[in-house]
Amino acid sequence: MTHKFTRRDFLKLGTAGIASAVLAGCEMPRRWVTLEPFVRPPEEQLAGVATWYASTCRQCPAGCGILVRTMNGRALKIEGNPEHPLNRGKLCARGQAGLQILYNPDRLSGAVQQTKRGSRDFRQLSWEAALNTLFSTIQAAGSSVIIWGGSTMSGHLYDLFQRFTAAIGAPAPVVFDLYTGMSGHRLLAEASRDLLGRVGLPIYDLSHADVALSFGADFLGTGLSSVRYGAEFGNFRSQPLGKRGYLVQLEPRMSITGAVADRWLPIRPGAEAMVAQAIARIIADQSLGPVDRVTRARTLAGNVDVNAVATASDISVEELQRLARSFATAEHPLAIPGDALTGQDNATEAVTAVQALNIIAGTVGQSGGFSLSTPAPSPALVKPVVSSLADVQKLIEQMRADQVKALMVYGANPAYDLPEEMGFTEALGHVPFVVSFAPIVDETAIWADLILPDRTYLESWGYEVVAPSFDVPVVGSQQPIVTPVFDARSTGDVLLTLAKGIPAAAKALSWADEVAFLIESIGQLPAGAAGGSGVDVLWARFQQHGGWWPASSPVSVPPASTLSQAIQVTPTRFEGSEQEYPYFLHLYLSNLLSDGRGANQPWLQGSPDPMTTVAWQTLVEINPNTAHQLGIQDGDVVRITSPHGELEAPVYTFPAIRPDTVAIPVGQGHSDYGRYARNRGGNVMRLVGAQAGAQGGNLNWATLRVKITRTGRKVALALFENKTGVTEGFVNQAFPGQ
Amino acid sequence: MRVTVNSSRRWLLIGGALLLVVTLGSTYLFLAAKTQAAPVAQAASGQPIAFNHQIMVQLGIQCLFCHTDARRSPAAGMPSVEKCMGCHRVIGTNVPTIQQVTDYWNRQQPIPWRRVNVVPRFVYYSHQVHVVAAGLNCERCHGDVGHMTVDRPVVRMNMGWCLGCHEQQPNAPQLRDCIVCHQ
Repeated sequence: MTHKFTRRDFLKLGTAGIASAVLAGCEMPRRWVTLEPFVRPPEEQLAGVATWYASTCRQCPAGCGILVRTMNGRALKIEGNPEHPLNRGKLCARGQAGLQILYNPDRLSGAVQQTKRGSRDFRQLSWEAALNTLFSTIQAAGSSVIIWGGSTMSGHLYDLFQRFTAAIGAPAPVVFDLYTGMSGHRLLAEASRDLLGRVGLPIYDLSHADVALSFGADFLGTGLSSVRYGAEFGNFRSQPLGKRGYLVQLEPRMSITGAVADRWLPIRPGAEAMVAQAIARIIADQSLGPVDRVTRARTLAGNVDVNAVATASDISVEELQRLARSFATAEHPLAIPGDALTGQDNATEAVTAVQALNIIAGTVGQSGGFSLSTPAPSPALVKPVVSSLADVQKLIEQMRADQVKALMVYGANPAYDLPEEMGFTEALGHVPFVVSFAPIVDETAIWADLILPDRTYLESWGYEVVAPSFDVPVVGSQQPIVTPVFDARSTGDVLLTLAKGIPAAAKALSWADEVAFLIESIGQLPAGAAGGSGVDVLWARFQQHGGWWPASSPVSVPPASTLSQAIQVTPTRFEGSEQEYPYFLHLYLSNLLSDGRGANQPWLQGSPDPMTTVAWQTLVEINPNTAHQLGIQDGDVVRITSPHGELEAPVYTFPAIRPDTVAIPVGQGHSDYGRYARNRGGNVMRLVGAQAGAQGGNLNWATLRVKITRTGRKVALALFENKTGVTEGFVNQAFPGQ
Repeated sequence: MRVTVNSSRRWLLIGGALLLVVTLGSTYLFLAAKTQAAPVAQAASGQPIAFNHQIMVQLGIQCLFCHTDARRSPAAGMPSVEKCMGCHRVIGTNVPTIQQVTDYWNRQQPIPWRRVNVVPRFVYYSHQVHVVAAGLNCERCHGDVGHMTVDRPVVRMNMGWCLGCHEQQPNAPQLRDCIVCHQ
């Protein structure tokens, strides 16, 4: 039966609508503003006046200084700390979103126990009962206790964990998360030993460089210290006397750094080291640039065939020669190895081959050159040492062999971060007792017997030995900005309480609480820029200024290169045959969600990705030409299959990617981790295998091949920007003939 | 000649006029509810504790004794529960309203007072400037709170009222400037 909507119906409906509007309008306005005065006011608080507290950001391992604006005891806004030597007042989107960790509605309030692992059936437990359970289990476990930490944990907590494990005779804590895995922290630091004779994270003085060759380093997006490199890049572009730095980005998929580069060269994945070697070869053969550079190039350039490299890398011989010439003749040339190099099977060699260009340039430790992060200013202060993948594999083996009686997981989410093939979740089944300190139930916490939620970083104490630190050594301070919003307990205090009952540990960890320990550690710092004397004053100024740093840059002796011969780079080997898996897989850390830890913050989920403007989704970036050949359009859900696993996600056709490459950002695909993260997109670690690189340092996440299968389904992409008139109907000029 | 309007036409006209009145009326009410502070509706019927200002003033306690921040901050602020208890641990402990305060203190909870005087969010108003620099008494804006039991709004704090006073000042040209209040 069809019903005709008559004029009469229209009037009836209209009258009803108006009547309801009138009734709504007649209701007394209820605009109560509740004034909640303090029960006990802090001394420095004034009604209506904001108080700012200095602290340290914990959204990534870089350690930027932050200032948090509070009103009436509530944190309202996070900004960069202008005094802090690392970020000088700047802060990225991730840093700004930190408030949503503090106020996250999915945070646990109070300790919980899980009756059956994986059941998500959590029973509230009093803190006393929880601590008693923890104590009796850890005591019974003896020395078979393992602590698994994340890279963003406070230095004092890492120190306490270390002292605890040493006291009870347990192995040292393992520190591994996806962020450090994908940005290659451990591997880059270790590679420095071969180059400069010391372990340390590399730093690049981009501010004073004039030509920079970035081999896929997305230093403006994620990487080791993106906020600092943002400022460095600004200086790079506007140097004194109108000088402007020239950036060449070699990467298969255009990143935000590639988008601002002067030249973007879509290099074949895995060919970066080869190109670096070819550039050295050309400098040596054609005697480009100053004599000393040519001499060094002759020593360090391997026996590579430039024509073969051109074919293998899809960068023409002329282009290679141009790169070599501009590099060799520049005053301050710089070569930066990217994240993807650290995920190759020949990672250390690849990184060293790129760094060899810096050695050839002769600018190591000098203005506009490559040097190493300064070590901690005092041995009393520590920075969590990221474990190698070999350590992680060893630990999982121990778990499987029933050698681990208790596992404590702090600030890491290995069940999400590690490839399924590594068997972490399965190995957990062999551990009788698993305790998690996660404030929000994540993929690892659902396998825990006990969760003792820690306070979030805006509610807790700590310090951070900043690495990489640039001009000066920096120790960032961390202090509670607000009183805890949820019923959470500081893990440092939980550990100290636990240690009191274990005689060996009680001796080693004798502090009343973590603040007493922190004050003792901080008191051992040498004189800093904030001045003052006496522990109380030093401690107060440490909190007030957001950390410690020296008044002036220490005189640094440029490290001498220990590289004396050409690097032999084993050709990059991709997993999966070209016939079965025709596409290269290019994974990258999301600029917003980073390694997935940002997925529980709706501000980050809702912020459009800078390159694609996609929000809230995992997307598969494919070149429009490839998509056309496969008959795929934007929003078509495809199955990406690697030799290790598969993932389904919608396609976003993206012109700035090689036609033989598929790019997927990391960060989505959580099965837990709160309402904003859960059941959204896919976890790319399903595509990655358990194999470590040849040197055992890192996962082989950058040397995978995949195939694309259509599923026939289609979803709407959450795009901020329409493609009409931008890249719609794009004919790819960069890849003729494809 | 008589103009005749047939019956249905007339009803349509009356209906139309009514519709217009109702629409405009409801729009006004809706907007009024949204944009105005509707001060009278803020009356203190819903205060969690029937706080008696009169007694405090009769006992010689100055406004600024409790609303201390008025002379050093834009907001006058509400006294903390701790401040109330500073005296009422020993004074008036048998009075029911004071016992209510003690209950909040024992639970360590803030008292959820309801705001009595409201200016819209787009208005910048500083107590400090008015109390310290201009030397105004609290009564000038808040009425004779000393003779009220539970505080109630007596002034409709709108722009005309603000300007009424600003216009009388020797530096009226400056005080008339929009950005004085709409910063």
